[in-house]
Amino acid sequence: MIEVRDLAKHFRVHRRQPGLAASLRSLVHREHVTVRAVDGVGFTIPAGEVVGFLGPNGAGKTTTLKCLTGLLHPSAGTVRVLGHTPHRREAAFLRRVSLVMGQRNGLFWDLPAADAFEVNRAVYGLAEGPYRAALDELVDLLGLAPLLGRQVRVLSLGERMRCELAGALLHRPDVLFLDEPTLGLDVNGQAAVRAFLRDYNARHGATVLLTSHYMGDVTALARRVLVIDRGALRFDGDLAALVEAHSPHRLVRVTLREPAPAGAWAGLGEPVDVDGAVVTLAVPRAETAAVAARLLATLPVDDVAIGDPPVEEIIRAVFAGA
Amino acid sequence: MRDVLTAYRALARGGTLVAVTYRGRLVLRVLTGFFPLLMMAVWLTVVAESGPPAGWTSADFLAYYAAATLMANLSGDHVVWQWDADLRSGDLSLRLLRPLHPFHQYAAADLGQRLVTLVALAPALALAAVLSPALDYPVTPARLAAAGAALVLAYALGLLTASTFALLGFWSTQTANVWLLWWGLGSFASGWVAPLELLPPWPRTAAVVLPFRSMMGFPVEVVTGRLDGGETALGFAVGLGWLGVFGLLYRVGWRRGVRRHQAVAG
Repeated sequence: MIEVRDLAKHFRVHRRQPGLAASLRSLVHREHVTVRAVDGVGFTIPAGEVVGFLGPNGAGKTTTLKCLTGLLHPSAGTVRVLGHTPHRREAAFLRRVSLVMGQRNGLFWDLPAADAFEVNRAVYGLAEGPYRAALDELVDLLGLAPLLGRQVRVLSLGERMRCELAGALLHRPDVLFLDEPTLGLDVNGQAAVRAFLRDYNARHGATVLLTSHYMGDVTALARRVLVIDRGALRFDGDLAALVEAHSPHRLVRVTLREPAPAGAWAGLGEPVDVDGAVVTLAVPRAETAAVAARLLATLPVDDVAIGDPPVEEIIRAVFAGA
Repeated sequence: MRDVLTAYRALARGGTLVAVTYRGRLVLRVLTGFFPLLMMAVWLTVVAESGPPAGWTSADFLAYYAAATLMANLSGDHVVWQWDADLRSGDLSLRLLRPLHPFHQYAAADLGQRLVTLVALAPALALAAVLSPALDYPVTPARLAAAGAALVLAYALGLLTASTFALLGFWSTQTANVWLLWWGLGSFASGWVAPLELLPPWPRTAAVVLPFRSMMGFPVEVVTGRLDGGETALGFAVGLGWLGVFGLLYRVGWRRGVRRHQAVAG
């Protein structure tokens, strides 16, 4: 479905120091540097899988997505999506994929979304029946009915994003690339988009590759993650395995009936947060069960909850150790 | 091919809808559509003060610049600005993701917008034709066919030329400025500043073989009945030749340019 081997994308960019003197110098002497945005990335994604693509700003996530959709020609390596070489931009390929970019407007800014959908219908060559079926489903799932007749520019960000998703999915793509689809949305907006994407994947078995700075997007949608940093792939596997590999501790949150005396945690774990009678301990992963049992046996415990550190922290640990 | 035509209809409709969304923009578009008449006013002043230059009377200038107004509004060169804006903003990426070449997307949207301008201008041009005896263009079936073909050729060449220049955006951020330079030079050789018959012999000869006349002066001269059969055939040959040249340049430019595309901004 998606096969990427030794993918590299290098950009030659003009470098200039700030200031007037540097500006004048650059008029006669151009200095260029090569930016290795993606450097030797490889992975395979089978049909129907949802994969999260994680990395800090400038890690190479979006560049990789652009190579996968054919927007960029790779500097080296091979990319195959649905059996096509994306940068050839064959119509048969483009009819089967979609890229949603959270900060880009794929609709007509000055027209209602319904007009843009009609244009998409013609551009993708959709017959009336399949188009109506897809549109009705998307309108229903995304709650678009009250939005279709309003100019896109007067929609809120969340409303516009829902319309963007509908526009991008009218042709029922087999592969969906999502680049920060919940960027700037409030909590409700994020939840709506996540629920929709989960549902869409379940209904149509679409392959989804998702980048997001919101870990909630990734944890809600993807079991497998790719972690990229400085153009190189640092991790490819289950999110749970990532957590286990990069977080040697689990968090044990203890609620006591009264604040514990000083030194009560000695030998149990490292207190990472103390809030009156509620204490969170970082405990070595292998000792979690034993520590919980000792807590219950030795202290006046009301409640014990065991969990993993937030994925954001784990990702930070991955990058810090890279 | 049928798919492309269907997409053209839908995209042109989209362009039309965008063009009529804002009343103010529509009014401004119609007003600027009459700019060729400013050149006419200059030449009418010349005639009034110094007599007809090279035998061109006020009526001749009226007939010429009324047709030129139609041509100016049939120009497809606006696509260069949209290309430039999209390359800078990154919106070209969205067009590249659609299963229709961006050239067609820009062209179809432009056609839709041209249509609105022409419909808005039509009443004024029709009124001028009724009121002014000077606008009594010779009408024969052959001339009508030649005029229609010349108009289509002019639009196609303007669109292709502008689109070819727009590809410079893959290499440079100065597309709009380069286009303005081209347009400025071309305004003398196209028949915009002055009818080519008023130019000295060598610039006039040069203008006949340069591409600019095919997009303005030639169709205007066909409409106003100033060309004989041989001159008309030569005009078509030159226009079609340049259409081939720019078609080739576009093809090469696109293939090389899209490889360099950096898909900026997101």
